[in-house]
Amino acid sequence: MDKSLFRYIWRFSKREQLAIFAVVIASLPFYFWSLELPKRIVNEAIQGGAFTEGRTEARFFIISFDLPPLMGGGTIELFEGFSVDQLGLLFGLSTLFLTLVLINGAFKYVINVAKGALGERMLRRLRFDLFATTLRFTPSTLRTVKSSETATIIKDEVEPIGGFIGDAFVQPLFLGTQAATAMAFILIQNVWLGLLAAAVVGVQFVIIPRMRRVQLRLGKERQIASRKLAGRIAEIVDGMEAVHVHDATAWEKAEIGDRLHHLFDLRFRIYKWKFMVKFINNLLAQITPFLFYAIGGYLALKGQLDIGQLVAVIGAYRDLPPPLKELIDWDQQRLDVQIKYDQIIQQFLPDKLVPLDVFVAQEKEDGPLAGPIAAERLRIADPHGSPIVEEFSFTLPFPVRLAIIGDGGPGPSTLARVLARRHDEYAGRVTIGGRDLGRISEGQLGRHLAYAGPEPALFPGSLRENLIYGLRNRPIRRLTDDGPQARRRRMEAERTGNPIDRLEDEWIDYERLGVEDADGLDGLLLGALGRIGMREDVYRFGLLGRVSSQRMPDLAEKVVEARRRLRSMLAEQGLENLVEPFDPGRYNAQASIGENLLFGVAVGPAFTGRGRAVNPVVRKALDRGALMDDLVAIGARITETMTEIFRDLPPGHPLFEQFSFIDADELPEFEDILRRVAAKGLKALNSEDRARLLALALDYIEPRHRLGLLDDRLRQAIVAARVIFRTALDGSVWARQLDLYDPESVCDAAPLRENLLFGRIAHGIADAQSRVMRVVSAVVDELGLREEVEKVGLGFQVGPGGRLLAPHQRAGVNLVRCLVKKPDIFILDGGLAAYGEEQARHIREGLLATFENRCFVAVLRDEEQAEGFDALIVFDGARAELRRSPAAGREGREADAAAANVAGGHG
Amino acid sequence: MTLDSEVQSLRQVPMFRDIDPARLKLLAFTGERVHFSAGQPFFRQGDAADAAYVILDGQADVTLDTPSGPLKVAELARNDIVGEMGILSDTPRSATVTAAVPIVALRIDKRVFLELLNQFPQMSIAVMRELAKRLERTNARLAQSNS
Repeated sequence: MDKSLFRYIWRFSKREQLAIFAVVIASLPFYFWSLELPKRIVNEAIQGGAFTEGRTEARFFIISFDLPPLMGGGTIELFEGFSVDQLGLLFGLSTLFLTLVLINGAFKYVINVAKGALGERMLRRLRFDLFATTLRFTPSTLRTVKSSETATIIKDEVEPIGGFIGDAFVQPLFLGTQAATAMAFILIQNVWLGLLAAAVVGVQFVIIPRMRRVQLRLGKERQIASRKLAGRIAEIVDGMEAVHVHDATAWEKAEIGDRLHHLFDLRFRIYKWKFMVKFINNLLAQITPFLFYAIGGYLALKGQLDIGQLVAVIGAYRDLPPPLKELIDWDQQRLDVQIKYDQIIQQFLPDKLVPLDVFVAQEKEDGPLAGPIAAERLRIADPHGSPIVEEFSFTLPFPVRLAIIGDGGPGPSTLARVLARRHDEYAGRVTIGGRDLGRISEGQLGRHLAYAGPEPALFPGSLRENLIYGLRNRPIRRLTDDGPQARRRRMEAERTGNPIDRLEDEWIDYERLGVEDADGLDGLLLGALGRIGMREDVYRFGLLGRVSSQRMPDLAEKVVEARRRLRSMLAEQGLENLVEPFDPGRYNAQASIGENLLFGVAVGPAFTGRGRAVNPVVRKALDRGALMDDLVAIGARITETMTEIFRDLPPGHPLFEQFSFIDADELPEFEDILRRVAAKGLKALNSEDRARLLALALDYIEPRHRLGLLDDRLRQAIVAARVIFRTALDGSVWARQLDLYDPESVCDAAPLRENLLFGRIAHGIADAQSRVMRVVSAVVDELGLREEVEKVGLGFQVGPGGRLLAPHQRAGVNLVRCLVKKPDIFILDGGLAAYGEEQARHIREGLLATFENRCFVAVLRDEEQAEGFDALIVFDGARAELRRSPAAGREGREADAAAANVAGGHG
Repeated sequence: MTLDSEVQSLRQVPMFRDIDPARLKLLAFTGERVHFSAGQPFFRQGDAADAAYVILDGQADVTLDTPSGPLKVAELARNDIVGEMGILSDTPRSATVTAAVPIVALRIDKRVFLELLNQFPQMSIAVMRELAKRLERTNARLAQSNS
């Protein structure tokens, strides 16, 4: 990126800038004409200048050209004009004036839009350039860069720069030429008035910015002085003991008094300047009309200036100050923005970046990284210069399974990171297959080398997206259509140096992975997850996931079948009392009153929380079912209990959030409602209060909350109201916001688990949950649904940074992400830290088998863990030593091969 | 059976006898009513202590695992509390409790219970008083058996 903002802008927006210049220049004649026209209106139409010597008709709107003398002179008349009387001329000229006003407005509009487009495009380019530069940060830069700062720079700090970019060249040109045109116009009318105006403008233009600059300088001084004052006061307060012990109060008072005087002086000077600027501005603005009236009037009386000219000059002068003021503002903005730009550029200096050529030339260098790994006089030191790895040379054959073993120092991990090119501050040479590690392209390294560190970086999105993160290197095939929208998008991208790749394209090379399609890839992912013991987790995620009857009709059908099978299997085992199924004709005691009434799952806010208590369809069903009063009464009873038992808990107490029907901050309002009920009865409540009580009642579940508020009459009435509700909902605007329960089809809005159960697990039966889930699991296996469920589980949202996953699950995702891209070299550095020792050993053994013919590097704690590895690098402090595996499980060729290549070993 | 009847049961528990009814209602409301079928265990010796139970209806057996098989050491009946020591001392279950007949119990979650003790000193003092009484009884019994 360029050091100077203006050069940067000019480099990438020359064409657009010049186009806007052309429009600006083209607008000037019209602007000039609009200044000229008032003169003609006054002179010719109002004062009748065109109707002297007894003429009653004048010609208007003559279109003619004066030919230059070279072409013989004379005038070519294209249109001889309309013949009009004085009134006609007045209206004609006025209409023309209006037209010109509109044309000028249109020019302004076009210029502003073009400027806006230019600014927005440059902002997009600037942001993208900064982001692309961020991707080039070296590992050591990344350690010092604060992510939030970088995000703020790209998002917020460039914003004012972007706003300025559109104006950078156009604004001074546009305003300057406009001011110059007005100035020229005045000069043409009368040289003296023109010079007068020029003098006033000159004073404004020279003096005001200078005075403002002084004001700014004083402002900065004031800022520094007051910051120092605050610092000094803090120091004195902190050292108050010394002040008193040594009787230095007078001294300190004198010091602060001195500082306050300095501050006063600065502030007062700022005031004086500020009002001086105002005064001069006002004076200049108001004295000029005075001069114009006086001198212009004098000249008019003398006959050197006609009235029309005077009116036009005053009009033109009125147009002068705004552009000038804006020019002065532009100048200040320029200074401000340049400083900001400099600061931003500081953050993105080239010495913090990986050289650009590592990123290009990706296409031709896509071969595997299957070659011996070697280090020549490798030395690594920490930022303070003390050694992490002392001089160390080694050569490893390919394939090799290498364990790096340390005694808790930073050496092993740092060496692993060097090999993965995640640490670039080392001396010496590291090569893979004879090529310098630092010169291998990012693309090749990223596709053929995998590194699993101790802190997996997961992105928000589904589990699947996180697992295939390493497979989406670049688009394989364009899937997106080529409609006008897409063309426009591509054109904009090309204009702003942005990529034209789209996320919707095909990014995964299924062929390379040996699978047919996305479904095959899912199978691959599940296999890999199984090897690290995460299948069960994914199955459980799947039960929490949603099944869409639209997108997965087969699965949806099987789920309905499984639902029936589950019912019969529960009955076989005598467990049918553990689940109360949803039955359209019966009240489900384990579900809330609201759920029983709606008999479906809310999709939008209309049927959740208080939304359903105010929903007209719900209210209609309750009114028709004569339930409203009963439910409001239940709400009042709930309120009584809640206010009684939660009254003494402080707001924000965890028990409130977990158990109370009523939020802590709403408790007083509900107490008020109760008082009103006590005074005047439920009938007297207003509709808002009734809705609040109703909302409480709709959440009530008898066996769970045990307040004894429901009887059979009410239950039957609610089931009856369910039918009324369903009829009323059908065809209403809310129909799409509720996904109704239907025993014969899948409820898209409910999790798979709920869809399998199609009912509620009974409250208050010991161990019901796990017993039911065991039966569910049996049904899923019996119907061969497990893999389908797991595939749904791959859609599980992991949350920001994978926070919705347990640590070992995050580590597992990280491992699988590395493994599915089938790397030639896999470096495992603390990637198993989240696992227990037994499971870590199990996974390690699996990896050793997987990488039998490739390269596997693992950082381990001690030699006991290194069983099965071909070679060891053992650290003693910062001293490393390469050993061949002590009687490793692999005999013969590997041991020999290792011995042959280990020759470079160096302690 | 409703919340009020559970509060009645809680009042019969010596540890909760002196506690404000509103507080007991909160304890009952935050608790969970659980049905156990005959032979179903509440918890097993060595399990992590995650809850205490007040028996609302039915009987339960307390057994210890011994080398010669389970040894029944006590019987629990209506309004007895069990498992409260484990959640207070944060130690694993010292015995197995099994429903002898179908049982209804109020399950008091450890976290919720500790939250309540934290919030209401009156409850903490009631619990301490009960524990002190038990200690006193144990001392008395020790003294008796020694004399």
